[in-house]
Amino acid sequence: MNLGALSERLSASPRVQAIVALVVVIALVLPIVTSGFVTGLLIEAILLGLFAVAVNIALGYSGLITLAPAFFFGLGAYGLAISTVDYGVSFWVGFVVAVLLSLVFAIIVGFAPIRRGIGPAYFAMFTLAIGVIGYDFTYVTTSVTGGSNGKGYVVPPEILGLDFGEPVVYYYFVLLITIVVMAGIYRLLSSDYGMVLHAIRQSEHRMRYLGYGTRREKFNAWLISCVLSSFAGALYVGQLGLAAPSLMSFDLTGEVLIWVVIGGVGTIAGPFIAGFGLTLIEHYLGSIWTEGYLILIGILFVSFVFLLPEGIIGFLKERRE
Amino acid sequence: MIIFLTASGLTLIFGLIGLINFTHGALFTMSGYVTMTTIQFTGNFWVGLLAGVIVVSLFGLLLERSLIQWLYNEEPLLGFLATFGIGPLILREVMRAYFGGQTYSVPNPIPGSLVVGPVSYPTYRTLVIVIGFAVALGIGLLLSRTRFGLEIYATTADTDTAEILGTDTTRVYTATFVLGIALAALAGGLVSPITAVYPDLGLGFMLIAFLVIIVGGMGSFKGSFVASILAGQIISFGSTVVSPTYATMGVFFIAMIVILFRPTGFYGKTEVLE
Repeated sequence: MNLGALSERLSASPRVQAIVALVVVIALVLPIVTSGFVTGLLIEAILLGLFAVAVNIALGYSGLITLAPAFFFGLGAYGLAISTVDYGVSFWVGFVVAVLLSLVFAIIVGFAPIRRGIGPAYFAMFTLAIGVIGYDFTYVTTSVTGGSNGKGYVVPPEILGLDFGEPVVYYYFVLLITIVVMAGIYRLLSSDYGMVLHAIRQSEHRMRYLGYGTRREKFNAWLISCVLSSFAGALYVGQLGLAAPSLMSFDLTGEVLIWVVIGGVGTIAGPFIAGFGLTLIEHYLGSIWTEGYLILIGILFVSFVFLLPEGIIGFLKERRE
Repeated sequence: MIIFLTASGLTLIFGLIGLINFTHGALFTMSGYVTMTTIQFTGNFWVGLLAGVIVVSLFGLLLERSLIQWLYNEEPLLGFLATFGIGPLILREVMRAYFGGQTYSVPNPIPGSLVVGPVSYPTYRTLVIVIGFAVALGIGLLLSRTRFGLEIYATTADTDTAEILGTDTTRVYTATFVLGIALAALAGGLVSPITAVYPDLGLGFMLIAFLVIIVGGMGSFKGSFVASILAGQIISFGSTVVSPTYATMGVFFIAMIVILFRPTGFYGKTEVLE
C-alpha cells in the first residue's frame, strides 16, 4: 500500500478521517494552551512513542528479541551530546554523527549474529550483554561520557528567527519529524518489504526455501530499527538538554518492551500510542504514588502478555474482523 | 560460587523447559529479604537462610502452578516477556515498595578469617565455597544417578515419549522449576552477609548468570559450573588490576564472543540452537 492508497483509505472512512483530524488539531493546539513544562513533557512522550515504534520494527516485525534498544537510544543521545559539547559541531551535524555512530554500531552488533542465524534466546543474551556493557561504559569513562553526571548541556540553535531551544518551537519541530518518520515507517511496512518481514516471522524456513534472503531482510530491519531508535534518542537530548546513563539503562529497555507489548507487537500505531500515553500517565501517577504505579504497570503488562498477546491494537483489529 | 548457584538454577530451567526465566533475579532478591527479616526475629542466620529457601521455593511453586506453566509450549518471546513482567517489574517493585530502596546489611554469621600459611581468607566465604561445591556435587549426582534425574533427561529429550512411557512430565517440569528456584534462593540467602540486601541485588547476578549458562553451554550443568568459576575468577582478579566495572564488562565481552563463535558453549548440545 502506498501513500495514495493510504489517503484513499482515510477518505473512505469518515470516522477514521474525523479521528485523524481531531488528533492533528489537538496536537497542534496543545502547546499553545499549556505551559512550557507540559510542552516539554509532550515532546518526551512523543519521542518515547517513536522509540517504541522503532523497537517494534526489530521485535515485532522481524522477531529479533533485542534487549539492547536502550543501548541505541542512548547511543543517539550521547552521540549528539558529545559531538556538540566536546567537539563543538553544530546541533544538526550532531544528529548526523549520532545516526552514523548508531549505524556503525548496529552493523557491528547485528551483522554477525543475524547472518549466522543464532537462535532467539542467544540473540537476546547477545544484545543483553551489549546493553550491560554500554551502560557500564557510560559510568566508567567519565572523561568521554561525563560519568553519572551525564553529558550536557545541549541547547538547540536558533535558525531564521526560530529559536529551537524554545519548547513550543521544538515541539512543532519534533511533531513534524515524527509524523514524517511515522508515515515513512507506515509506507515501508505496508509495502512488499513489510509483507516479507511478516512472512519471515511466521515461517523463516519456508521463506528461505522460497528463495528469500531472510537473514538479509532481518538485518535490514535491524539497521532501520537501531538507527530510528538512536534518532529518537538524539531528538530526546534536544529536549532534555543532556545525555545521562539512564538513557542507556536496562530500565529503559524494560519500559520500551512494555510499551511495545501493551500497544501491540507487530502493529505500527500501537507502540506509539502506548509509549506516548504511558509516559504521560507515568509522569502524573508516578509523582503521586511511584511504587504503586510501577507495580500496576507490571500487572497490566503481565495480563497483556497472558491474555492479549496481540496488544490493544491487535485485539481491536481482531474484533473488527 | 554465588554466580554458580544462580546459574545452575537458570540452566536447569532453560535446559529442560526452554524458558528464559527472568523471574530468577527477583526470587534471588526475595530470598535475601526473607533471610534478613527472619534474622531480625530469630537472630540466627541459619534459620533465616532456611526460611529464605523454603519460603521462596514455595513461592516458586505457586508461581509455576498459577502462571509459568502456561508458558511452556509458547514461543520464547512470550515466555521471556511474561517472566520479565513478573520478575523485574512486579516482584522487584513490590519489594522496593515494601522494604524501601535502602540497603539492609546482614551480620556475618561467622566473622574471622581462616589463615593457611601466608594466605588469609574470610571464614564465611570459605564456607560459601564449600556449600557451592557440595551443591554442585549433589545436583550432579541427582541428575546422573537417580530416577528423577533420568526422568528429567527423558522429558528434555522427548516430552511425548516420556509421557507415554509413564513419566508424569507435568510434575517433572514443576519439580525442575522449583529446584531451580530453590538454588536461586540459596544463593540469595548466602550472599546477603557479603553484599547486603537491596532491590536490585538479584538483577546483576542474574544477568551474569545468563551469560554464564550460555558460555558453559545451554542446559549443561557441568558447563555452567566451569563457566561460573571462570567468570568469578575473572571478575575478582580483574577487580584488583582494573576497576570492578571494567572486569564485569570484560566478562560480558568474552561472553558475546563465545555466543557468536561457539553458541553451544563448552559442553552444550547442538539441538538447542534453533
